[in-house]
Amino acid sequence: MRGVVPALCVAVALVLLMPAAAAQDPGADAAAQVTVTSISLEPGIFFEGDTGIITIEITNNGFESVAIRRATMYDADISVLSSSYDTTTTIGAGNSMQFSFTVKADVPPGIYYPKFSLDFRNAGYLRYPVQIRVENDPLEISILDKPDTFGAGRKDRVDILIGNPRDNPASGVVVHVSGEGIDATPSSYFIGTLNADRSQRVSFNITPEKPSVLEFRVDYKNGVNPHATSVTIPVGFGVSKTEANPLLSNILVEYQDRKYVLTGDIYNAGLEVANSVVLTAGGGAVPVDPYQSYVVGSLEPDDFSSFELTFTAGNITTVPVVVSYRDVDGNPFEKTYPVSIPAQTSGSAKEPGIALPIIGVVIASAAVIGGAIWYSWKKK
Amino acid sequence: MALQIGDLLFRPDAFFRRLVAEPESLNIPALIVIAGGLIAAAAAYIISGTYAKMFEAAAGAGMATFIGLFGAISAFIGFVLIWWIIFAGVFTVISMVFKGSGSFKRTLQCTGYGLLPVVIGSVISLLVALYYVPMIQAPVLTSFSDPAAIQKAMEGMLQDPAFREFTLISTAISVIFLAWSANLWIFGMQHARSLPLRQAAVTVLVPVIIYIVYVLFMAMNGIRLLGGS
Repeated sequence: MRGVVPALCVAVALVLLMPAAAAQDPGADAAAQVTVTSISLEPGIFFEGDTGIITIEITNNGFESVAIRRATMYDADISVLSSSYDTTTTIGAGNSMQFSFTVKADVPPGIYYPKFSLDFRNAGYLRYPVQIRVENDPLEISILDKPDTFGAGRKDRVDILIGNPRDNPASGVVVHVSGEGIDATPSSYFIGTLNADRSQRVSFNITPEKPSVLEFRVDYKNGVNPHATSVTIPVGFGVSKTEANPLLSNILVEYQDRKYVLTGDIYNAGLEVANSVVLTAGGGAVPVDPYQSYVVGSLEPDDFSSFELTFTAGNITTVPVVVSYRDVDGNPFEKTYPVSIPAQTSGSAKEPGIALPIIGVVIASAAVIGGAIWYSWKKK
Repeated sequence: MALQIGDLLFRPDAFFRRLVAEPESLNIPALIVIAGGLIAAAAAYIISGTYAKMFEAAAGAGMATFIGLFGAISAFIGFVLIWWIIFAGVFTVISMVFKGSGSFKRTLQCTGYGLLPVVIGSVISLLVALYYVPMIQAPVLTSFSDPAAIQKAMEGMLQDPAFREFTLISTAISVIFLAWSANLWIFGMQHARSLPLRQAAVTVLVPVIIYIVYVLFMAMNGIRLLGGS
């Protein structure tokens, strides 16, 4: 009996000690040393519908190799496009290993946590939720400066600002300008990467040929996903409130030496300078020397200059005086002012020298009068 | 009447001798002066047309009519005043220096008769004007706002070859026929103011020569006198 008791005690002790031995499994200890050391997302923040890559790096911090049976990612909302890592492999002590998964965010904006799962062989699992943000904020386009009105063939500058309100950079940013009958310089502008909360100012010279709609479209990439945003502004023709406004006054037209001489003053009643101001007579008038055209040059606002034109004209009563000038950007402008001209003095041109009949009349008169005087004194 | 006009023009001494023997009458001299005034007015109206064309565009057709009428009326009054009244007055004043006697009415009568050659000269000048004026190419003004331009236009017209030629020829005709009238006035003053012939000549020639010098001077400077030819 004495022999049975110690044996029972040993048996009980063994039974009691077996779970502790099981808890101290060497394989489980080694797997516990495997941790996720880094996660990278490309793009950092998804648009709804974007496809991206999640790269997860794990590191074995233990002193033993750990066998990995499977690595996978799954989520109820985020679609995982790539397959799981189903090949059994081993991560050595102190080594790191990366797992990449292609996902598609076909979900409304929000924050999602797809789970990374690492299945150890005979040592349980490692599950790690990865945070994915989905935002639909596009790049913003702001019109910084544009003319009040456009003019046919006139070049005007439009300044825009491209801003990135997102928390991740946009890459491959390119601004395109388009519009029917619109010539833009430059036709597009490459910005490249636009970091988060940064902006880029871009200027375009716009020359419309007809009233149209001007569109600025910004193409960019969020990761590998192309996106675009655009803004349009109407291109309406009209008179600028500040443009140069040359006016003619003090017009005087004389007909002399078989040509018209038109003199006057030209005022700039606008608020902008008029450059390269040139006046000439148009319509049925034929400019002649010495002032076929008159170059005034630059005319500041509220400034004036005198001018003179010489021309010939047929049977017309009005001559258009054409004023051409340019603004500071070199855009050509032209204004026409009708000026009434008097009829030419009728009659033929005077031939040089006194006509013989006139000379004869004068001589005959002198002779007759001389004779009359002589006769009157003789017959006194 | 024809015989009397012949005597006036070619035998003025006999004509005025007979005239002073008759009662004083200004009827015929007045007719001569009025005829001369009308001819001068017609000539002035024609010449004013040139100025009217110059200003018509700036002032309108009304201004052209006004200029023409103003020129014609001025020429008529000028002719009557200068050639008849003033010349007769000057003759009377000068003849007083030589103790001349006779009424002013008689002087007016003789001066009026003596204007017949000037009237004939005015007719010739009128014809000359009709020949030259269409050839004058006057500058045309469209505004009165620039005095310098107006002055330039006036100078341009005065420098017009046809205008200058007309001025010189009309002045020459005027001087030639004025000389004829002066010859008549000498005999007229001799009998109207009872002067010796030499003193009558001085009485007439002094104002006439002064007038001729003045007319020639103005003609050379391009300014046309109103009235007379």
